Amino acid sequence: MGALRKALSWEVKLWGRVLRPLLSCQGRTGGTRGRTCSSRQPHPALAGLLSATGQVSHWTEVFEKRGIPEARESSEYIVAHVLGAKTFQSLKPVLWTQPLTPWQLQRIQELCSHRLQRMPVQYILGEWDFQGLNLKMAPPVFIPRPETEELVEWVLEEVAQRPCAAGAQGGPLILEVGCGSGAIALSLLSQLLESRVIAVDREEAAICLTHENAQRLQLQDRIWIVPLDVTLEGSWTHLLPWGPVDLVVSNPPYVFHQDMEQLAPEILSYEDAAALDGGKEGMDLITHILSLAPRLLKDSGSIFLEVDPRHPELVSSWLQSRPGLSLSLVAVRRDFCGRPRFLHIRRSGP
Amino acid sequence: MRSRFLRGAARCLWARPALGPSRRPLSCGHPAVEELFARGGPLRTFLERQASSDAPLQVRRPELVAAAKLLSEKEQELRETEHLLRDENEDLRRLAENEITLCQKEITQLKQQIVLLLVPSEETDENDLVLEVTAGIGGQEAMLFTSEMFDMYQQYAAFKRWHFETLEYFPSEIGGLRHASASIGGSEAYKLMKFEGGVHRVQRVPKTERQGRIHTSTMTVAILPQPTEINLVVNPKDLRIDTKRASGAGGQHVNTTDSAVRIVHLPTGIVSECQQERSQLKNREMAMKKLCAKLYSMHLEEETSKRYNARKIQVGTKGRSEKIRTYNFPQNRVTDHRINKSVHDLEAFMKGDYQLDEMIQSLKDYANYESLLEIISKNL
Repeated sequence: MGALRKALSWEVKLWGRVLRPLLSCQGRTGGTRGRTCSSRQPHPALAGLLSATGQVSHWTEVFEKRGIPEARESSEYIVAHVLGAKTFQSLKPVLWTQPLTPWQLQRIQELCSHRLQRMPVQYILGEWDFQGLNLKMAPPVFIPRPETEELVEWVLEEVAQRPCAAGAQGGPLILEVGCGSGAIALSLLSQLLESRVIAVDREEAAICLTHENAQRLQLQDRIWIVPLDVTLEGSWTHLLPWGPVDLVVSNPPYVFHQDMEQLAPEILSYEDAAALDGGKEGMDLITHILSLAPRLLKDSGSIFLEVDPRHPELVSSWLQSRPGLSLSLVAVRRDFCGRPRFLHIRRSGP
Repeated sequence: MRSRFLRGAARCLWARPALGPSRRPLSCGHPAVEELFARGGPLRTFLERQASSDAPLQVRRPELVAAAKLLSEKEQELRETEHLLRDENEDLRRLAENEITLCQKEITQLKQQIVLLLVPSEETDENDLVLEVTAGIGGQEAMLFTSEMFDMYQQYAAFKRWHFETLEYFPSEIGGLRHASASIGGSEAYKLMKFEGGVHRVQRVPKTERQGRIHTSTMTVAILPQPTEINLVVNPKDLRIDTKRASGAGGQHVNTTDSAVRIVHLPTGIVSECQQERSQLKNREMAMKKLCAKLYSMHLEEETSKRYNARKIQVGTKGRSEKIRTYNFPQNRVTDHRINKSVHDLEAFMKGDYQLDEMIQSLKDYANYESLLEIISKNL
């Protein structure tokens, strides 16, 4: 902690050097901001540093020195965000070289100081994209990973291929266990225009964030967001009023407990451990979902899960030893890195 | 020679009724097409052969024959009415004038219809496309011009109510553009945009030039038709998809933000990249779009270059190396070298609306003329 404070004070000193000329200029002109400043010819080296590209290379260097992962990416995302773009690549070229306003510089510094404390970029920006959607992100709610976009793709493919699975009221009725920021539920709703989703999570923060994101995307009318802990005895009975569901989708906590301490500081210090820690073999939540699913699923309904690459085998043998659940693993799909990552389990029989 | 030129010019004049400048004149396209329709001209002979029973079956189409027949009837009618212009009765003369205007309008429409029936539409005309712009010779100045050109096409897409999505964008340090690509889709998007492919040349005093000298720089535009699923099938096994997440456990174990995607098509070595979006899946979709367009245009290349070898207006790679247009700022002029057409309001042209649209329409008309010539020479 001491080292961190020291580093921060160094940072502030450096920034004092850069910002002082600007701020003094602002003071002289009575706070009319950048215009008067930029009309003066700034020192060439200073002008370079005060442009978007200058800021990106400056902060990249700072991050690299301090061992912050994804130094360049982080500074690019932060600078682009402050300038109103999603990525540095999509920033208009005129904005690359234009001098930034004191407010923009201050904002960049503020956001970058969070990154120096290993805060994930998604929390720093307060938003991230998932599938085609822009979602609000807030600690400690789990940040959706790119793999999960593929889980959604798979569900969409299956729904498109099996329209018979759709309920009498049009689209499928879907249950999502552990909705977090609402990424899975909301991207399904945005693409399946007739579908409805029941999204449950045991964490208050997740429930709130899913609510907010649903509002933000105008999808609140087709989603029911329910605070519920599926590991509690009999909790599933609260879900019965909605009737049997066509699909259960989940990205449950699946990290093996012993792997938890090896996770990066971005994850360990900021994300809710309960959304990651899956117990001894990462199966705690998975087995709860599989146990309750037969009571909630329609005949021949499906479960789609994102899991650890070691899980397909573990889940398969777990299911085989429990024929009473009438569930069978019908397909395993690999993620874009070639790891077995997604499971399709179907209810067969009563 | 001179009389032919004059005749052409005169015909041009009558083909242009005095309407507002933004309205396109009612003609069947390039003046040279009118020339083809001249009595005793090659197109006439061709149409007459079509009507007779000895025409080869594959070209004899009932609509064409009907239109050609109607055309000669209308022209006969016109000639007969023209006699009445010399009649003593004024009322009759006025009636004849009206009749003639109507007749000419119908004739123009019929000619248009015949051109449309004869000019084959390309397999890809209705497809979406990928636009690629690349700075050529001229350093930073070429990159600045490339950026302006990319903006022009984006505005043109908006003007045509097409959908426009930037796929990649590589700016230069001083606000120029090294290379960019975009996906464009909408009614007739490829049919019109395909004429923009080639080398565009700019002549002006660059912002970076202190001595006030005029520089000449270039940039290249490539237009690749976007294949539909029927046009092109890519085997997933032929693809290598690179992301920054390839190492480590992935999934919940890591939280990285680098969403850049690079796809390599192994059999051809073609590479496509995208880092426009924060969503990796979106980047992958966009990179894939671009890759498919590249593969498809490669596939089309051979037959296209064979088919159009002799034409002035080239579409595809062959056209990409050809200097097609000059943007001369000191003279405030844009000249398309293929059809030798100039526009004397550069700024308005680069807004990407009416002026650019008119240029593209002229190119389309000329291309129609060239393919008409080809059809006629093949079938006579």
